[in-house]
Amino acid sequence: MIVAKDLMRVYTMGRVEVRALAGVSLEVAKGEFVGIMGASGSGKSTLLHILGLLDRPTSGSVTIDGTDVLSLSDRRRTLFRLNRLGYVFQDYALIGELTALENVYLTSLVRGASKDEYLERSADILRRVGLGDRMDHRQSELSGGEQQRVAIARALVNNPSILLADEPCANLDSQTSKSILDLFARLNEELDQTIVMVSHEDWHKEYFCRIVTLRDGLIEEMVECRRGQNPP
Amino acid sequence: MLSGLKVSAFLAWKSIQRGSRGTLALTIMIIALIFVNLVFLPSIISGVVVTFDTQSIDFDVGNLVIEPREGNQYIDDVDSLQRKVEQIPGITGTSPRITAGATFFYRGHNAASTLYGINPEGERSVTRIAEYMTAGEFLSGGDTGAIIIGATLAGMEGEEEGGLPSLQGVDVGDSIKVAYPNGETRTYRVKGIFETQSFGVDTAAFVTTREMSEVLGLDNQASAILVKTAVNGREEEYKREILSYGIQEDVLTFREKSGGFVEQAIQSFNIINAISTLVSLIIAIVVVFIVIFINTVNRRRQIGILKAIGIDQQIIINSYVLQVLFITAVGALVGIGLNTGVTTYLTAYPLVFPGGPVYPDVEASAILRSIASLFGVSVVAGYIPAWRIAREDILTAIRG
Repeated sequence: MIVAKDLMRVYTMGRVEVRALAGVSLEVAKGEFVGIMGASGSGKSTLLHILGLLDRPTSGSVTIDGTDVLSLSDRRRTLFRLNRLGYVFQDYALIGELTALENVYLTSLVRGASKDEYLERSADILRRVGLGDRMDHRQSELSGGEQQRVAIARALVNNPSILLADEPCANLDSQTSKSILDLFARLNEELDQTIVMVSHEDWHKEYFCRIVTLRDGLIEEMVECRRGQNPP
Repeated sequence: MLSGLKVSAFLAWKSIQRGSRGTLALTIMIIALIFVNLVFLPSIISGVVVTFDTQSIDFDVGNLVIEPREGNQYIDDVDSLQRKVEQIPGITGTSPRITAGATFFYRGHNAASTLYGINPEGERSVTRIAEYMTAGEFLSGGDTGAIIIGATLAGMEGEEEGGLPSLQGVDVGDSIKVAYPNGETRTYRVKGIFETQSFGVDTAAFVTTREMSEVLGLDNQASAILVKTAVNGREEEYKREILSYGIQEDVLTFREKSGGFVEQAIQSFNIINAISTLVSLIIAIVVVFIVIFINTVNRRRQIGILKAIGIDQQIIINSYVLQVLFITAVGALVGIGLNTGVTTYLTAYPLVFPGGPVYPDVEASAILRSIASLFGVSVVAGYIPAWRIAREDILTAIRG
């Protein structure tokens, strides 16, 4: 479970202060699929970066599964990301020198898993995301959709309690986007995977359990909805 | 810890395996050449010292030389002194020498050089000149009208004058006239010509002590007694041993006899070597630093991603350090190969110094020292740029 309170994030650009977040409070329960939406510059990516422990807020607090993550040292934050969070980037962020399979099992290697264990699990996840026959291909040999599937498999390999996705379909065509969102929905339904996803595409709304709309760094609207139906 | 190292090794290996082959080969080659430079100069310096020592012991003065005590021109009662020294364990031979400056005349040419009176049998037990006869024969004990001369002094016909003492083409069987310092002159038949490649020896000539004693009016006297020991390198021990037998004459090791020339030469060479080593190591630091710096800057985004997915900063830094270790290890191996090639070539075609031919003397300690210093500077030069980039803020790194 994520509990974020009064998050503020102020950037200083030269002499100008930019308030990316101006006091956002949000709770995400286990098994929720939350969509964070809003116009460009509304603060949605900044919020996700803070929830994903990639950035620190100027003020406010974030508790994930009972841990005050902002009080953790850099080393413990790294470990927390490794063990508890999965992060999917807009531009896939794969390691170009590694194959799909190696990209996926890299973090399992850090966790000290045995070779059999991490190979079996990574291959299994890649098969589940539909890349059973592309495991030995490197990033340059994969399409955009395939790369994003590898990134999702990598994010899931350590059974994270929360999957964070920052506009994962931004660089994909609508058909590929749909297949990625279907995959997220399946993960959420079948595995009760908590997912927080940033998007600015209206048609993505039908996949979310809850939609949080940001505007100028503040929550403008929070709508509960049922998957498969357009929100009111 | 172990799994962290495993991941570092995994990332390092994949980067080497799938990175730019050209850059890798070039970096390895530079490290190899630096290694050769680190090993080569000390091996030549060591070779010069070995050559000087060998030439001194084998052709010039033996391991030790006994000289008249201060104020005396000659050692008296040479036979008795020889017997005393030869009974010391580890002394394998002694040979008295009478030394005189002389002028040599041959077919209108003349040259001033050193003439030695030697006991041919004793000389064979101490020096190896007899093994280096290029023409004719070595002296025999009974020879009185015979002389052997060095190849440089014998010279060659038409040779340019003004350099080393040369009689311009003396052959075995020729007669040469020798003017002694006491004004006596003698004519000798050249019995043999030797060539040791030792500058001081090849410009000299030898007659028997019997002949020279007669000319100079000496009786059982010598300018010096050369001493050969069973083992090289323990001259100081033998010197103490000889002195403990109550010998009153001056006893010098071959190094002391050289008057500190070798020590001075070694000191100068060591300064040159230190400068060369320093320059080589600075080049190694700069090369490794630039390679890793460019590598990490180009992979700044990748480093950010690795941190974002939960890879510890130290694992990332270690992966670069391991790459450096790999490059240095392969570079050192290639360097050892190149150095073996250079050493083999210079063993077949040695460098010619005035003291004799110089063969590279590659010491294991020099190789180990070079490897250790290369690894040391490479790790430091690789660690710093990796550490600088790896500690960067994740989002800044990802945004490149």
